[in-house]
Amino acid sequence: MTDTTTPLPRSPVWSRASGWRRRPSGREALWGYLFVGPWLIGLVLFTAGPMLTSLAMSFTDFDLLNPDRVRFIGLDNYLRMAGDPTIGGSLIATVRFALISIPLTMIASLAFAVLLNHSRLPARGPLRTLVYMPVMIPLVASTLVWMGFLNAETGWLNGILGALGLPEPDWINSETWIYPSLSLIGLWAIGNFMIINIAGLQSIPTELYEAARMDGAGAWTVFRRITIPLMSPVLFYNLVIVLIGTFQYFTQAYTMTNGRGDPNNATLFVNLVLFREAFVFGKMGYGAAVAWLLFAMVLGITLVLFAFARRRVYYAGGDR
Amino acid sequence: MTRIRSGPQALIALIGIVAIVAAACGGQTTSTAPSTAPNPTDATVASPTPAALVTPAPLPADEPGPNGGTVVRWFVGLGTGGQPQQVAAQTAVVTAFNGSQSDVYISLEIYDNQVAGQILRTQIAAGNPPDIIGPVGVEGLNLFIDQLADLAPLIASSGFDMSKFDPALVDFFKMGPAGETIGVPFATYPSFLWYNKALFDEADLAYPPSTVGELYEGKPWDMAAVRELGMKLTVDANGNDATSTAFDAANVVQWGFDMQWADNSPIAESTLFGAGSFVAADGRTAQVPDSMRVAQKWFNEGVWTDHFIPNTSQINSDLLGQSNEFMSGNLAMNQSHSWYACCVNPAPPAEPIVKDFGWAVTPSYNGTTTSKLHADTFSILKTSRNPEAAFAALAVLAGSGELLSVYGAFPADPSLQEAFFATVDANYPGVTLDWSVPQAMLGYPDIPNHQAWVPDYAKSKSAWQAFQNAYRTASGVDIDAALDALQVTLQGIFDAAQ
Repeated sequence: MTDTTTPLPRSPVWSRASGWRRRPSGREALWGYLFVGPWLIGLVLFTAGPMLTSLAMSFTDFDLLNPDRVRFIGLDNYLRMAGDPTIGGSLIATVRFALISIPLTMIASLAFAVLLNHSRLPARGPLRTLVYMPVMIPLVASTLVWMGFLNAETGWLNGILGALGLPEPDWINSETWIYPSLSLIGLWAIGNFMIINIAGLQSIPTELYEAARMDGAGAWTVFRRITIPLMSPVLFYNLVIVLIGTFQYFTQAYTMTNGRGDPNNATLFVNLVLFREAFVFGKMGYGAAVAWLLFAMVLGITLVLFAFARRRVYYAGGDR
Repeated sequence: MTRIRSGPQALIALIGIVAIVAAACGGQTTSTAPSTAPNPTDATVASPTPAALVTPAPLPADEPGPNGGTVVRWFVGLGTGGQPQQVAAQTAVVTAFNGSQSDVYISLEIYDNQVAGQILRTQIAAGNPPDIIGPVGVEGLNLFIDQLADLAPLIASSGFDMSKFDPALVDFFKMGPAGETIGVPFATYPSFLWYNKALFDEADLAYPPSTVGELYEGKPWDMAAVRELGMKLTVDANGNDATSTAFDAANVVQWGFDMQWADNSPIAESTLFGAGSFVAADGRTAQVPDSMRVAQKWFNEGVWTDHFIPNTSQINSDLLGQSNEFMSGNLAMNQSHSWYACCVNPAPPAEPIVKDFGWAVTPSYNGTTTSKLHADTFSILKTSRNPEAAFAALAVLAGSGELLSVYGAFPADPSLQEAFFATVDANYPGVTLDWSVPQAMLGYPDIPNHQAWVPDYAKSKSAWQAFQNAYRTASGVDIDAALDALQVTLQGIFDAAQ
């Protein structure tokens, strides 16, 4: 008779008693580093290297037109930033836009995901493709098309609103309506986030829904008590990406205003200020300092989000 | 972890890794995802890729070109040259030149005007500058004034004939910090009034005068007359003009006047009321000339009170050709330069909308006529490795009749003017172009030029563009207060530039 009491050999890696104290063998680690190596080399050459260069540049008065006359100026660029009203205004513009754009993007992408994941919706595949397709259109081309669509005089949107007897705002040249306009353009390309949300929805065990329904839970209760918590890692990921993207917002603002940040600096976001200082005015040193300000801001907000995530984001496997 | 077997599998894996590394080191990855959903593995900032309209095949810097000649890079985009109609012509000129000799090979690069300056700065900073820039006007030269070579020695050594040019034009391009000659006279672009004859005929109005001092309907041809005429030629969707009590300002379909493609420059607009500059004679004090205050109020009222000048939204709409206002056929009068001859007709195969147009002299103000002037040249950068070869190419470009015609450039060389007239005439069959108008306007240039140097030109320009865009975008702007604020801003820029 087989002895069933013989204990199974302990895995050297996943043993609960050993945990992190038993490391993979050196040879296995070497193979791991070899496969990660190309990415690491790219990171050093094309990301870390330029970042360090820009950091060094931020302490100089490097000028594109006179690169040989660079001088070390210490913290002058950062001190100048502290008193530059353009920087302050750009931060306000960026935050104002973020407060509108981020919630809108998160809610809309989740709504589309829930809708396009419904079992009773016919042609879900083609519909998901249609919603995703705008993501593939080059950003500048789509922005130019949107400028025509949103034009106050001959744009289709105002034509529709006018036909319905509704007010026809100046979507592009009004300080009030420019942020909703940019958010609208952003909503057109939420396919990425929708797909990610759909994947998250499909990873939720259906037994939980069945159990909830047997207990008499309604749709809203199920959504609030089961879907959202179990989707929280995916939503958190999307939030971080949307946040980073919003603070890096540039292409649409540049295309719509020829880089000027119109109307009245409402779209003069931090990234646009960085670009203008570095490439239009040629003050690369100052532009590099603005770049590091942007980096510090985004990093700070991301760290706050991660701290927040410890309490609010539910990881079913217990790992992060 | 499963142990990887040694031998062929390990070798294949190693080769794969090396290939990936080699591919990664061969180019830079750039995120193409929308900025609202960036590639999470790419930490680079999303930035527009300024596409060259003409992308040359990369040529080794120190090797002969395909025709065996010294490679000379020609950078186009700081001024005109980026319109579709012009790209083909420039390419043809370069191809013909390269094929006709084996001493010099011109490598042509054309960039959109909006980004050409930034690209050139980047190329200079990267140690990869072109040899020749042009056609470039005063403003482009201002932006790169410290980078330009003195052409005087090259002119002397090559025997280039400068005597054929007006001495005033020769002196015009002695713009270097120490009076260096940074360009040879190539083209002038006088400004005058372009008018749509069909719209005048439809309104049963006489055409504007073609001679300085000539009266219009018994009254002086001045800015007051332009306003009156502009309002009569501004029509709403119901056919009412702007002088009518039934005029619907919310549904304008035709406008009377604008200064198209003035680069959002209040200085340019203000030249109609007299030349001026934002910097005083001392070169460091910001000022707002009285003529500029008058001018900006005139334009502001023209946009928002009298409605004969379009606002920004209207300019960018389909009604006005998405900023090519005169070409749309819905703008009756356009104060612009001779270079606009490039673009009255849309690029083929589109059919012309404006079938017949005329030229009138610039209206006066207080008895004085001021007609802003653009003047283009070609320059060589100090960093050029082959300045002699570059100048040889420059001399050919500066004497090209084909380039002059496609740029709409009034030749600085008098011997080329008749041929230029004939070429432009041929582009507009059925249109009678009165060449006496641009010739006459050459006698009324704006001095100081509206593109003349100010401290930190790029930043100053950004500030005055913001002012101009503000009043063209929203009504209710207090022009005096806005100009006062602009003056303060400019003074700060000038002080920082010292």
